[in-house]
Amino acid sequence: MAGTRRAEEEYDYLFKVVLIGDSGVGKSNLLSRFTRNEFCLESKSTIGVEFATRTLHVEGKIIKAQIWDTAGQERYRAITSAYYRGALGAVLVYDVSKPTTFDNISRWLKELRDHADANIRIMLVGNKTDLKHLRAVATDDAHKFAEAEGLSYIETSALEATNVEEAFQLILGDIYRAISKKPVASDEGGAGAAGGVKEGKTINVAAGDANSEKKQCCST
Amino acid sequence: MDKKKAVDDTEPGPAPSRPVDRFGFIKPEQGTSPDGISKSKSIHERERESGYWLTVHYFTNLTADIFLGNHRDGRRIKKWRKMIGVGGSDWKHYVRRNPHVVKRRIRKGIPDCLRGLVWQLISGSRDLLLMNPGVYETLVIYETSASELEIIRDISRTFPSHIFFQQRHGPGQRSLYNVLKAYSVYDRDVGYVQGMGFLAGLLLLYMSEEDAFWLLVALLKGAVHAPMEGLYQAGLPLVQQYLYQFEKLVLEQMPQLGQHFIEEMINPSMYASQWFITVFSYSFPFHLTLRVWDVFLYEGIKVVFQVGLALLRFCHDELVKLPFEKLLHAFRNFPEEATDPDVLLPIAFTFKVSGRLEELEKEYQKKLEGSNASTSTKRSHPLKLKTMSRIGSRALSNFTNSEK
Repeated sequence: MAGTRRAEEEYDYLFKVVLIGDSGVGKSNLLSRFTRNEFCLESKSTIGVEFATRTLHVEGKIIKAQIWDTAGQERYRAITSAYYRGALGAVLVYDVSKPTTFDNISRWLKELRDHADANIRIMLVGNKTDLKHLRAVATDDAHKFAEAEGLSYIETSALEATNVEEAFQLILGDIYRAISKKPVASDEGGAGAAGGVKEGKTINVAAGDANSEKKQCCST
Repeated sequence: MDKKKAVDDTEPGPAPSRPVDRFGFIKPEQGTSPDGISKSKSIHERERESGYWLTVHYFTNLTADIFLGNHRDGRRIKKWRKMIGVGGSDWKHYVRRNPHVVKRRIRKGIPDCLRGLVWQLISGSRDLLLMNPGVYETLVIYETSASELEIIRDISRTFPSHIFFQQRHGPGQRSLYNVLKAYSVYDRDVGYVQGMGFLAGLLLLYMSEEDAFWLLVALLKGAVHAPMEGLYQAGLPLVQQYLYQFEKLVLEQMPQLGQHFIEEMINPSMYASQWFITVFSYSFPFHLTLRVWDVFLYEGIKVVFQVGLALLRFCHDELVKLPFEKLLHAFRNFPEEATDPDVLLPIAFTFKVSGRLEELEKEYQKKLEGSNASTSTKRSHPLKLKTMSRIGSRALSNFTNSEK
């Protein structure tokens, strides 16, 4: 599990994480807030899958998060479920102002059980806490649910940039602890579509590839 | 800094408050150029045949068009008008006699002022409309769809930067909703799937709701070309097939790059699904999208493969050097030169893929049959128009029955 070390980017671990949850709960904006510190009110619905990375310090280690953002509509699972394979973590998002997106969490968990690795770490995220007057899912209920299912849990607002950093710290730390407890066989399972941890292979993404240029978030 | 003006705040008005490009997309804040006015169309043509949104939102800027129409474009439009005849009366005759001329001219780009009309003629949607009078209205007004909430959720997320679709509950959003809802009733198996909105939205910029609906039907049910409903059916079978075909084509046409993708574990679903699902209408410059659609409606889905290959060919020498993550970044950020239709389309047409696509389709179906006994009963040939009209009336009788 030795990390890749290069002058332009160094990291100890590379973690593949998938962002899943119903359509419209704010997955893409959570990702853009985390990786580019951007939020876009006029964002388009995600078609297929999108990808972004960020490298950060977690528990004293340098961790590179390789995050796959997936289309939320059920029909798209035909494509997106392939991306669960090899993922070490899943960020399962619902919208605190839309109860149905919370009710569907169990279906997403089943989806993960069917397609993801058995020891995948899962974090439940209640997004859009900025919509205070519209809240329809109580923190307590979600907390209890998460506890019962053995998931970590946090509430976020991608719009206000509340807890987004913390959320990803949480899941990445969770993965790190799980992984450092037991030795992991190298190149676990071939890693399917995109690989979990690519070992012995140089992955040289220039530091801040996505961060360096401040781009217009809603072109065309 | 990174917060955009809320959609809800956008007020309707005769002139947009933020500068838009010639297609009606709101320009990025910096770099406003004075050529926000289209040079090839007259306001009268616009009003009558296309640019549906223009008559609502954009009237003032376009009056300048009358004075700006340049000579070459004028001649081109004249030729096209002759080819089409009044209201499309000469079109079929002309196509039958001069298919190659038509193909050549379409590849050069349909004049924007005639685009809406020509799209309806070449897609077969005009015939569907005439054969099914009143059907659209009935679908919109009298039927309810299980997909209504899903459609509503995505309305403001479809071309959010276009002024026609910006205003909450404005004419653009209402039309988009109506077309998508009508389709979800018309074909309840498909219902509504994300991505369809971009097709419908694109069409609504060039034609009325009813025309846009029938063009969507023509495409998905296959009035002229193979039906594309498989893009949106459960399991997205046609997306999977197209991705399979595309991957093989990349390997055959650009072996070095294809091999590089395999080594880097790049799978076409990572970059090309949205090319197929939205026919390049999701994230490419609009002038490229339009030119691709001109050819797509006349020649079929093959042009999506060709344009995809052309993008890779154009950036080939760069792409072969890039590792996994940089490749993924590159797929979403093609350089401006690569998306210039006058550069990209000529490259696209150098790829002769028709025959190979057919073979690969058979190969894929065989593979499916091998791995799974219950394969899709996919029909890859276009429906005859007569059947189409039956479909229309069946949809109608289905829901009139359910009303009782």
